[in-house]
Amino acid sequence: MAAATAAAAAASASSSARKGETYTDTKRRDDVRMANILAARAVADAVRTSLGPRGMDKMIASASSGDVVITNDGATILQRMSLLQPAARMLVDLSRSQDSAAGDGTTSVVVLAGSLLRRSLSLLSSGLHPTSLSDALHRLSLRAVDALHAMSIPLDLSDRGSLVKSAATALSSKVVSQYSSLLAPIAVDAVLAALDPAHPDLVDLRDVRVVKKLGGTVDDTELVRGLVFDKKASHAAGGPTRVENAKIAVVQFQISPPKTDIEQSVVVSDYAQMDRILREERNYILGMVKKIKATGCNVLLIQKSILRDAVTDLSLHYLAKAKILVVKDVERDDIEFITKTLNCLPIANIEHFREDKLGHADLVEEVPVGDGRIVKITGIKDMGRTATVLVRGSNLLVIDEAERSLHDALCVVRSYTFRLVCLVLRCLVKKRFLIAGGGAPEIEMSMQLAAWAKELQGAESYCIKEFAEALEVIPYTLAENAGLNPIAIVTELRNQHAKGEINAGINVRKGQITNMLEENVVQPLLVSTSAITLATEFVRMILKIDDIVTVR
Amino acid sequence: MAVERLLKDEATEEKGDRARMASFIGAMAIADLVKTTLGPKGMDKILQSTGRGRNVTVTNDGATILKALHIDNPAAKVLVDISKVQDDEVGDGTTSVVVLAGELLREAEKLVNSKIHPMTIIAGYRMAAECARNALLEKAMDNKQDPEKFKSDLLNIAMTTLSSKILSQDKEYFAKLAVDAVLRLKGSTNLEAIQILKKPGGSLKDSFLDEGFILDKKIGIGQPKRIENAKILVANTAMDTDKVKIYGARVRVDSMTKVAEIEAAEKQKMREKVQKIIAHGINCFVNRQLIYNFPEELFADAGILAIEHADFDGIERLALVTGGEIASTFDNPESVKLGHCKLIEEIMIGEDRLIHFSGCEMGQACTIVLRGASQHVLDEAERSLHDALCVLTQTVNDSRVLLGGGWPEMVMAKEVDELARRTPGKKSHAIEAFSRALQAIPTIIADNAGLDSADLISQLRAEHHKERSTSGIDVISGGVGDMEKLGISESFKVKQAVLLSATEAAEMILRVDEIITCAPRKREDRM
Repeated sequence: MAAATAAAAAASASSSARKGETYTDTKRRDDVRMANILAARAVADAVRTSLGPRGMDKMIASASSGDVVITNDGATILQRMSLLQPAARMLVDLSRSQDSAAGDGTTSVVVLAGSLLRRSLSLLSSGLHPTSLSDALHRLSLRAVDALHAMSIPLDLSDRGSLVKSAATALSSKVVSQYSSLLAPIAVDAVLAALDPAHPDLVDLRDVRVVKKLGGTVDDTELVRGLVFDKKASHAAGGPTRVENAKIAVVQFQISPPKTDIEQSVVVSDYAQMDRILREERNYILGMVKKIKATGCNVLLIQKSILRDAVTDLSLHYLAKAKILVVKDVERDDIEFITKTLNCLPIANIEHFREDKLGHADLVEEVPVGDGRIVKITGIKDMGRTATVLVRGSNLLVIDEAERSLHDALCVVRSYTFRLVCLVLRCLVKKRFLIAGGGAPEIEMSMQLAAWAKELQGAESYCIKEFAEALEVIPYTLAENAGLNPIAIVTELRNQHAKGEINAGINVRKGQITNMLEENVVQPLLVSTSAITLATEFVRMILKIDDIVTVR
Repeated sequence: MAVERLLKDEATEEKGDRARMASFIGAMAIADLVKTTLGPKGMDKILQSTGRGRNVTVTNDGATILKALHIDNPAAKVLVDISKVQDDEVGDGTTSVVVLAGELLREAEKLVNSKIHPMTIIAGYRMAAECARNALLEKAMDNKQDPEKFKSDLLNIAMTTLSSKILSQDKEYFAKLAVDAVLRLKGSTNLEAIQILKKPGGSLKDSFLDEGFILDKKIGIGQPKRIENAKILVANTAMDTDKVKIYGARVRVDSMTKVAEIEAAEKQKMREKVQKIIAHGINCFVNRQLIYNFPEELFADAGILAIEHADFDGIERLALVTGGEIASTFDNPESVKLGHCKLIEEIMIGEDRLIHFSGCEMGQACTIVLRGASQHVLDEAERSLHDALCVLTQTVNDSRVLLGGGWPEMVMAKEVDELARRTPGKKSHAIEAFSRALQAIPTIIADNAGLDSADLISQLRAEHHKERSTSGIDVISGGVGDMEKLGISESFKVKQAVLLSATEAAEMILRVDEIITCAPRKREDRM
């Protein structure tokens, strides 16, 4: 009996060397790699149809909350897909990296990776070692980047036209494509406004603020030279909603009855005392308001406070009497942006309320927008290097809740797309080169790499030849999504490039091959280079993985 | 004929061969798991967490893989422990030590099956390990006297360490980075002074070494963004409110004016505190806790740069590198040691603004900023770089170096083989087995690279039969190469630690003849 249990225990002990995993021999290695490649490819195929100006959108419904998002953006689609397989999840990270590095090309990078993986699979099955594939990919990516540099065009930041063109290319495949002529200049102006001449290669996107407001149409989207608050001015007590020649104070204290940090209680012992307390409270607040008024301040931006009310009805009343426009509940995180824009200093204590800390603007007014109101500050004196964009979305058919949520989703996408364009523009600022779009760079890379492969020897040559062909997936998919004959288009494209027309690409609207530069289809070089380096890096990582271990 | 139970219910006991078998199998399973990560062409593993979020880690680092595993085989646990110890002691060789121990046990299993007593095997292993160590000692090179050569040794070691990691493509760059960082330490092994900062974005090549210290925080609003000759006060004090920390303290007043007075008094108290801090003659104030708007404004008015909410790690390092002390009372400005640095300024890395302290008091301090495509890459790069830094600091202390690429194993195997021939008795079988286990390491390196290991090892053995051979496996060209020319070096200390701990672990597992699994303690409070 005892022996039998012992034997069973021994068997279990040996088999459970790792809990939850059974011991496997090396045969599993290939299986794991295969499973990873297949999973990543499946994901890549899912987003493939959304590539390019004629790409389709995806509707993503979240099961738990019922939210609906319609998007064409690869990074967004992947992020919303609830993926479990680790390799597939890494693909999500890949597109996110592209998003943070270049802002655009999030679908391309995934499609490229999928295509490279497809070729790797056939190379692996012909008996090549994964590390030689990985080395070949590394050399390929370096060479490809060189090829891209060779065909790029330098850009001058003062050339606003080129900037607008590339912003328009980025927008062309998005939901808002019909408005690209409108949004692109706004984006360019916003980014240029935030550009500091002292550090021309750095643009902090936090200096470009996007305020979304449902209602109106995209046509109403505008760049505000100043500040916009997505909230009403407080006119509980009938305060002013329009102030000219404004002197603006950003305050971080509260205009409400005093409160100590130590717990306090006011003891009222008789009726007369109650009256006195009320009077004192009034006097206290009145005193504060008088001090504020004395500096000539007529617009107050009040920071939100968690400890006590930032303003009370009483203080609003006095402020309204003093003809001071009040915007309350300003987030602490926004203070830096606001003070930078207004060129003023925040005031944390009533004692420090001095005139030199105020900001000046020509006009502060509350304007109705859609179903809400916003406060706009314009004509700021010595404005900091920031920009605010007011993005509008249509609500033509807001009939019931369902449609509203859909429009909300659209609105999100719009503001998102806008951020994306800013990112694209920032890449341009970082790396001032443009490159033709429409599949031209991919075909050019593919041709150059294929020619290079012929000079190499051994397995490397074989790998590079295969991978070079894999790059053709981008023009192929572009043509396919546009309803063109992909084989005919790609061969024609190859033909043109062989003749030295390095900027020839697919003109989706006309359905033929044209010179992309003449068509004004340009994109930042960084988008293409980072797509190819990130995609190869990802494929190399996948190739090097030989086991999935479940851990705590 | 049931024997009366000796142990509690649920407790189990395994004896003799069975126990030994269980530990052999467990240990070998672990060794086999990590062995594919060995060498420059080793593979990576995905570690998939079963916890919330199902986080995915991709790694090549033996210690990281083993640390994360679920293990309930006791022998396997021993191997995980030696890998941890190796990680703490020398930082690198965490995979090698497990693989070598696994191979030693694999050989031992064969010997046990051919009826050699474990104690004989242990005795043989001990002799072999001693002999192998002497062989290493004899062959180790020491270039301490020649700074030029020593530096190139360090570079080679760093490159060898990095070549099996994610940084392999840019190994020259990172090796130089690591060597520069370690040489700044001037012999101290205090890796604290090297800060590794990870910022997603860019590519690995954009990583850089920066003298000084970088704090991932923001400068308060309206305060100077650049300070030269900074005098820094590092503090851990409440800059929100000085509360009376007596339970139930409260003020009782009978009018609003009095509340206002108390509030004013509180403000005054804070103002005094700020005045006291300013009285230290500082122009930079770093606090671990929050600084509220009011004191922030006071600092801004005084032209002092105030940084709030610097984390524990941040202020401790900052105090260390600027030579200051962390203060929490400000009554005696004389007794507080201020930190100094030449320049504080705001810099931008990727999309983030950071505060850079340069020209610090402690000249050793430096920061390595890692850039990379994604968090996976960054994490793995940090692990790799940490390994390299550990090995380098060890080498700075113990400057003996060996060649790499399976060279030390072959040298040891040759000596051990000769010992086996000289030794009479059963022990010689064990010694021979030890030599085979040593040769398994170059075999695995070759196998991982997809090379014909049987052919390579025999070639290598023939090469090593000559005196003073320097040949090892050249994974890149796929043949036998001259390690000295290729510049592949390893630290003596790492190799010695691998050899000794692996032997000890194998010995320990061999001695086992009974495994008693204790009954789990009952948890009564559990619902």
